[in-house]
Amino acid sequence: MKFIIILFLLLILQETLLPSMADTKFIENTCKATPSSHLCLKIMLANPKSQNADLTGLALIGVAAVKDKGVEIIQQIVALKKSTPELKQALDYCLDAYHAVVDADVPSSNEALRGGLAKFAEDGMADSVVESQACERRFSEHGERSPMTNSNNAMNDVANVVRAIVRMLL
Amino acid sequence: MASSSDLENPNAISSLPYSYAPLSDGEQPAGDEPTTGLHPKKATIFFVCAFLSVTFLVALFAGNEHVLPKDLSTNAAPSMAVTPAITTPLSRGVDKGVSEKSFRPFLGAENSYPWSSNMLDWQRTSFHFQPENNWMNDPNGPVFYQGWYHLFYQYHPDAPVWGKIVWGHAVSKDLINWRHLPIAMETDQWYDEQGVWTGSATILPDGQLVVIYTGSTNESVQVQNLAYPADPSDPLLINWVKYPGNPVLVPPPGIDNKDFRDPTTAWKTPEGKWRITIGSKINKTGISLVYDTEDFKTFELLDGVLHAVPGTGMWECVDFYPISKQAENGLDTSVDGPGVKHVVKASMDDDRNDYYAIGSYDAYKGKWTPDNPTLDVGIGLRYDYGIYYASKTFYDQNKQRRVLWSWIKETDTEASDISKGWASLMGVPRTILLDKKTQSNIIQWPVEEINALRTNATVFNNLVMEAGSLVPLYLPTASQLDIVAEFELDEQTVMRLNGADVAYDCATKGGAATRGALGPFGFSVLAHEGLIEHTPVYFYVAKGVDGNLKTFFCADQSRSSTATDVDKSIYGNIVPVLNGEKLSMRILVDHSIVESFAQEGRTCITSRVYPTKAIYNNARLFLFNNATAATVTASVSVWQMKSAEI
Repeated sequence: MKFIIILFLLLILQETLLPSMADTKFIENTCKATPSSHLCLKIMLANPKSQNADLTGLALIGVAAVKDKGVEIIQQIVALKKSTPELKQALDYCLDAYHAVVDADVPSSNEALRGGLAKFAEDGMADSVVESQACERRFSEHGERSPMTNSNNAMNDVANVVRAIVRMLL
Repeated sequence: MASSSDLENPNAISSLPYSYAPLSDGEQPAGDEPTTGLHPKKATIFFVCAFLSVTFLVALFAGNEHVLPKDLSTNAAPSMAVTPAITTPLSRGVDKGVSEKSFRPFLGAENSYPWSSNMLDWQRTSFHFQPENNWMNDPNGPVFYQGWYHLFYQYHPDAPVWGKIVWGHAVSKDLINWRHLPIAMETDQWYDEQGVWTGSATILPDGQLVVIYTGSTNESVQVQNLAYPADPSDPLLINWVKYPGNPVLVPPPGIDNKDFRDPTTAWKTPEGKWRITIGSKINKTGISLVYDTEDFKTFELLDGVLHAVPGTGMWECVDFYPISKQAENGLDTSVDGPGVKHVVKASMDDDRNDYYAIGSYDAYKGKWTPDNPTLDVGIGLRYDYGIYYASKTFYDQNKQRRVLWSWIKETDTEASDISKGWASLMGVPRTILLDKKTQSNIIQWPVEEINALRTNATVFNNLVMEAGSLVPLYLPTASQLDIVAEFELDEQTVMRLNGADVAYDCATKGGAATRGALGPFGFSVLAHEGLIEHTPVYFYVAKGVDGNLKTFFCADQSRSSTATDVDKSIYGNIVPVLNGEKLSMRILVDHSIVESFAQEGRTCITSRVYPTKAIYNNARLFLFNNATAATVTASVSVWQMKSAEI
């Protein structure tokens, strides 16, 4: 009798584990098809919602990561404007660029993914890449060294990953 | 990548060490080794349980550890900042004062912040349809009704970016001057709560107008809905009623809830019913579903599809219409018969371009076949080789022509769109006809009403331009122009030239700075005096080994602006040129949009251009011949274009 109970419990546990193995495979395969599979996996696995997510769900997690990064970078810029006022003009440009990402590209992409018009989410992520690169370039165009290279590269990378996932939905 | 945590980036995300965690050994559960005194049955039970436990634990660890690939070289390489467009143009050549100025990024320059409000204000057009502010995309339900041209459009009233969409509305007597009206349809029903998306209008024989449009429901399912004017005797069609029995169509079995949108104008079937088509996809095959109806309320799905093309992905904004083989007028959508071909057009979701093909329609079967399957929908001809999407035609019974509208998006950054407060234009409306000379493509031409904006003609006849020449055309202003020109290459050079393998294409060969024996030659529009910013629109002729000439028609944005946050692509395609034809082009310049037409509209290119210096009084127009060998003779008419009411 004990044996049957133990067996029963083990089988139930087995059933709940197998699907999550399959989901991880799905996430892995999706991430392999992006420009930075490592970054992609890190983002997905950090979010428990990825476990049961379909492709749209993974894309939405990606957009959330873009938003988080954007918010963080905006805070960084605000701090830099105080600490390095001589970089004001480039920093102002960057502030506008990242506000565009957080206030326009991200909400538009979320709405597009939920509604099934993924192309607008691709546009939003493509713009996020452009904004990050344009911000980075602003410094050299002023003859200055960028204090934001890591941040701009990070946004560039995550937005490119999400764009690749979004394209799989087209 | 370096794993140090920088001061400037305390939350470095790229530096976590990853390790490959080996599968753990299946642990023995807490249980003693069975003593020899154990009952055999219990021993069996014990070993079975132990085995299952081992399996359980293996599954536990294998399932929950993220197993990263051992090959860590797939780790993100240091990312590359975008490579800017070509920055050092090749020399234009020896003589005629062609400038050696090259594009260099500004260093600590006069304009520190690139986009002043002056520059952004200039970008608004003067004779292209655009709402006063915020975001527009697809044209909807274009129609001529009781004396007015109506244009509806996908409109996001809250921001210059796509979002929850409603139907904007405007009317015109001439397709050029517009009166903006209130929003025609809002997201006020459960069946269009997430968006009042694209749709089309049909005028019934008794003059009634019906609209079928896609709604995105409260659960983001794409459905088709019926709407009609609240007051059919109001020629301005201000108020609209949504049929209480909506939706009239939901995604059929086998079609995804999010792959069912953009219903067409209806046309009559031989049985006297109405027929529409709706684009979709099955896996990666783009398809067009066909529905028949008698009342626009109940529909019958036909077997099969109007047409399908594998590998093309989702077909958005499908359009289907007849064109006359002989006549120079457009045809009502229901016309059919021996003197008629049919066009199927679709917007390809995958590559954001509008494609069309000419073929034959079988009205009894509800199927269409392309004349040339190698140039099928989605893989052959495009309406336009620049920025042009979600286009839609309507039959204008007022002037018996088929008119084409299209959405032209921005190619600058969203940050700029937010600063200027708007995004997107409609292209200039164009008439569509079968090209009677080639019989294998359509020709598109700006509607004749646009000519009413022409003033102050400047005409040059038979201007001879040697190889490597640049001719400024002195005009009072050059941001609003209509340019019509004919070009002739000197026969001698063409004949004498040894042909070669033609390996040219507009996009990848360096634009107007790349010189060939017989090209490029054309105009530089929105040009700054020193050519530090300019946008060449040109022909490039190449002679093949067989002696035949190939003509390319290109629009080159690579040096259009000193700003580095705008798209600098080069667009274009081959244009067929028949024996005896001179090379001809027409260019409409309207601030940040340039529309170029070759050979009376055989090849069209729409570009968005955002100069920082070549604006207002500093915008100029040049004629150039950057060929190395041939002389080009040009005859040119340039008009200043008045502003329209837009």
